[in-house]
Amino acid sequence: MSQTKVLLVDDEVEFVLALAERLQLRNYYVNTANNALEALGIIYKDPPDVIVLDLKIPGMDGLETLKTIKKFDPAIEVIMLTGHGDVRSVEEGMKSGAFEYIMKPIDIGELTSKIDKAHGKRKKE
Amino acid sequence: MENKNEVLRLLQLRFIGKILAAFTHEIKNYISIIKESAGLMGDMIKLGKKSRNEPGEYLEIIHSIEEHIEKTNDLFRYLNRFSHRMDTEISSFNVNETLEELIALLTRFANQRKISLEKEFQKDIPSMNNNPAMLQFLVFHFLEEKIARLDKNSRLIIKTESANGSTVIRIIPKGNLLDIDKENFTYELQDNVVRQLGGNISLEKEETVISVPLTPS
Repeated sequence: MSQTKVLLVDDEVEFVLALAERLQLRNYYVNTANNALEALGIIYKDPPDVIVLDLKIPGMDGLETLKTIKKFDPAIEVIMLTGHGDVRSVEEGMKSGAFEYIMKPIDIGELTSKIDKAHGKRKKE
Repeated sequence: MENKNEVLRLLQLRFIGKILAAFTHEIKNYISIIKESAGLMGDMIKLGKKSRNEPGEYLEIIHSIEEHIEKTNDLFRYLNRFSHRMDTEISSFNVNETLEELIALLTRFANQRKISLEKEFQKDIPSMNNNPAMLQFLVFHFLEEKIARLDKNSRLIIKTESANGSTVIRIIPKGNLLDIDKENFTYELQDNVVRQLGGNISLEKEETVISVPLTPS
């Protein structure tokens, strides 16, 4: 079975590295970025199936990044990472085409289940 | 006057809300790192990952967990001190410590706009006997305003020095300042707050200079 290609975008380097390794151990192919520009560079070069995107990243706002990704390729599914105070951003993100959101600190089982569903949707389209 | 006091009170509540939001956001990040690091160690054991550098990799993860517990503890300490600043109106305090906790609680907020907050504190600065919560509130508004106006990748220096029985706090932006509307915190309100502290505010180019006596008269 082919690996799901995931891009993790969060400015907390250690969080991203640990999460990337946990996903790799579960047989996902993972790229990481710590800011919006880096993420967009990876998306153009090596488009992922699913992006896990923190809404609060430096450089470009997470919502702006989401809109840019959706403009580049509407079929790339985006799962937003958020703290629980960001209800307005979550609503706006869902309206802008995000597939789902997940709250920090995350549950790895919940995240992989959302990634799989998002990938399943991408494959159908 | 009633209206002015009401606005001031609302702005103080907004200030506390902002500090709490920044604090909880940062704590959540640290907890996420701790949780993922511990989860990774668990995965390595459960899923039988053979690491190239086994106890070394475990030790590295444990070190990261310890470091983030330490950072979490520091932030809790700052928040606790910040909360107690409001216990009594006038108290004896060290201005550097008071600003340090404010900066620690606002760093995340500044970093998100890619602005670094830098301290240039005079060592052995005399203690003040004034209203520390009000002083933090005042400094916060100038920091917030400058952070909103500064271009990305700029610096904001917070400098303290003592001069003629007063403490002088300089807020020095290093970067391009954009013109934006100054929201609710009008010059009239700034004046009202600084008068309560017995001090004054002046502008030297883009630099804000707050001068507050060690003891209000």
